[in-house]
Amino acid sequence: MDFELTEEQKAHRKEFFEVCKELEKKRPPSFVGFEAVFEVDECWEFHLYCAKEFAKKGWLGLAWPPEYGGSGTMMDKVLFAEARGYHGIPGVDIFGVQMLAPTLLQAASDAIKKEFLPPIVQGKVMWCELWSEPNAGSDLATLATTAIKKGDEYVINGQKTWNTGAHRADWGFGVFKTDPAARKHHNITFILLDMKTPGITVRPIPYIDGGGPFCEVYFDDVHVPAKNIVGQENEGWAVVNLLAGFERSGMTEIMAMFRDLEELVKYCNETKRNGQPLARDPLIRNRVAQLACELQAARAIAYRIADLQNRNEMALMDASAAKIFYSELGKRFAFVATDIAGPYGQVKTSRWAPMHGAWEKAFQECFITIISMGTNEIQRNIIAWYGLGLPRMK
Amino acid sequence: MDLRFTEAQEILKKMARDFLTTECPKTLVRELEKSEKGYSPELWKKMAELGWMGLVIPEEYEGMGYTFQDLTVLLEEAGRNILPGPLISTVISTFPILEAGTEEQKKELLPKIARGELIITTALLEAEGTFNAYGIAAKATPKGDDFIINGTKLFVEMAHVANYTICVTRTKDGTSPEKGITLFLVDSKAPGISCEVMPTIAADKLCEVRFENVTVPKKNMLGKIDEGWPIVEMMLRKGAIAKCAESIGAIQTCVEMTVAYSKERVQYDRPIGAFQALQHIMADMWTSMETGRYLVYEVAWMESEGQPCAKEASLAKAYVNEAYKNVGQWAIRLHGAIATSHDHDIPLYYRRSKAADTTYGGTDFHRELVAQKIGLI
Repeated sequence: MDFELTEEQKAHRKEFFEVCKELEKKRPPSFVGFEAVFEVDECWEFHLYCAKEFAKKGWLGLAWPPEYGGSGTMMDKVLFAEARGYHGIPGVDIFGVQMLAPTLLQAASDAIKKEFLPPIVQGKVMWCELWSEPNAGSDLATLATTAIKKGDEYVINGQKTWNTGAHRADWGFGVFKTDPAARKHHNITFILLDMKTPGITVRPIPYIDGGGPFCEVYFDDVHVPAKNIVGQENEGWAVVNLLAGFERSGMTEIMAMFRDLEELVKYCNETKRNGQPLARDPLIRNRVAQLACELQAARAIAYRIADLQNRNEMALMDASAAKIFYSELGKRFAFVATDIAGPYGQVKTSRWAPMHGAWEKAFQECFITIISMGTNEIQRNIIAWYGLGLPRMK
Repeated sequence: MDLRFTEAQEILKKMARDFLTTECPKTLVRELEKSEKGYSPELWKKMAELGWMGLVIPEEYEGMGYTFQDLTVLLEEAGRNILPGPLISTVISTFPILEAGTEEQKKELLPKIARGELIITTALLEAEGTFNAYGIAAKATPKGDDFIINGTKLFVEMAHVANYTICVTRTKDGTSPEKGITLFLVDSKAPGISCEVMPTIAADKLCEVRFENVTVPKKNMLGKIDEGWPIVEMMLRKGAIAKCAESIGAIQTCVEMTVAYSKERVQYDRPIGAFQALQHIMADMWTSMETGRYLVYEVAWMESEGQPCAKEASLAKAYVNEAYKNVGQWAIRLHGAIATSHDHDIPLYYRRSKAADTTYGGTDFHRELVAQKIGLI
């Protein structure tokens, strides 16, 4: 067993960190957490800027085959995620680059790949995901929005919801019911669509804190070219499962927390209460140290996933375990940091707020990771059913 | 990066698993808990033949010359099967000899340890029960060519059967507690030593060892006079990692037994493992194991490579301590009343989760070290 990176990987990592460190200097102060990309115009602009910079270096196509503009390995992708997480740099479209592209590479026709992959690797087109519906959340296959084929088009009617960044995205990928008569799981098609198509209405859904990245998307006779499907008609469920398999190890989020931990330590060292620095309080020391232990464990399992993926091995159980662990650690981090800050833990971005209000924001935003991409309860089902072989609920 | 076991490690792992499954059934574990010795000399001999006590001892001293990481692979298997006896205490006490011993000491002791002829242990803790240097009060006073040791050591693993005890003593009251610590190899038969087994949760034969005017020749000093604390720190670090590996093995058994039982036990006309209330807990138990596992593998690799890893060792020990206790208690609860029976196997593991926790530093001790190492002033 060997945790050592190759010389080449070390050199790549160094470059990733150097570039991200430079980009951090250009980051707008309103960027408080990655969700800011969807909430604040100047953060979205920064996101697009970073995407272009990364595209120039070929970093949006890490672990892609060279014929589609790819280079590097899965391990490079993880090292890049570390650097972006630590320095808090957006620029990698979680939907286009991280979810859709690997799915297209495996499951799409050559025509689709040739049309849609280049704009992704060039950082030109940003995507959103059109999955959940008001009555189809974890049980996604019960979705009701229809895409009925008419000639060489699909006509879409219905409503999607919890669509992160749909108000900013150029394109969306989604699943729609294409054969209302067929049984569940055999009636769904995976469709790519231009978000500017007439008949699409995007409305924001205010998150707990009043802002947030979420939208709902209404479809009113939206005509989409029939060629824009991935996989076969009515066989979209297989594509859904494939895409779910490309979920991330959470390395960006984990490294972002490592940075937050450094900031928390600094805050504890510099802030006095009861005549001494917070850092001298044994209870605070213990709680911060516990976070450090859990963070190290989160990073360890992320490396485990990277190692499996680097060898093209399945990481189903570990990916679910990592998602549960790092997302709930995010919540624990927010709880501990806001506790330590005392009354300041409730203050939003302002001159009174420690860490520009990042901890207050995390206290509210932690649910996004816990609930999205398959709730943690669904992840526990996945571990129990597919990993531990426990009987599945009927 | 390749996080798979090497071929040699796979062989070691399989051999250990097969051997312990046959040679160390739970009936033996229970028997040894009740026995006076706490280990099986027959089993010890067989383990020596397999080279376990000499695993990390270089070949020139009749050892196997394996790495520290290989050792943790073996100890994970020992933990799976909760192998009782002085394996860890002997192996961890070997490191001060390997790293600080004179050539004479190495030649004298290492081959015997590798052959299974010597059981050794380390006497560190005293009345305060702390792994800090503050706790060391036992005095070693020079007298001619000897030192005279006086003091009482507690929680000394398997001292009642050890041939040698590495005694951590205070030889000078320095400016800081870490200064003035000296280690001695003490023959257990030396006059003035008395030993009594303490009744502990895992019946793992932790001893109170009293030193009353015990004469130790100067040549038995391990390392330099007054400068023994770094050796203790090295031993504690390696011991903490070793204990983590052992705990991961034990956690895995707890998870496997609980999952297996939940598939067999029927209530309300279905296996209890079909209930999500239980499934989610088992998913969390698995997650605890898997997160802890790679945390431990990474620090074992660092230690093996000679990289500084005091912080990582403390991060791992604090994490795995909690994981083992937590998985252990859920293993009992998911089994239900049956696992509260003294005759059930799960309590053997649950009781050891507390023992493993305290050995080489409990959670709060290591969290404080972490606090220092992440820069809290």
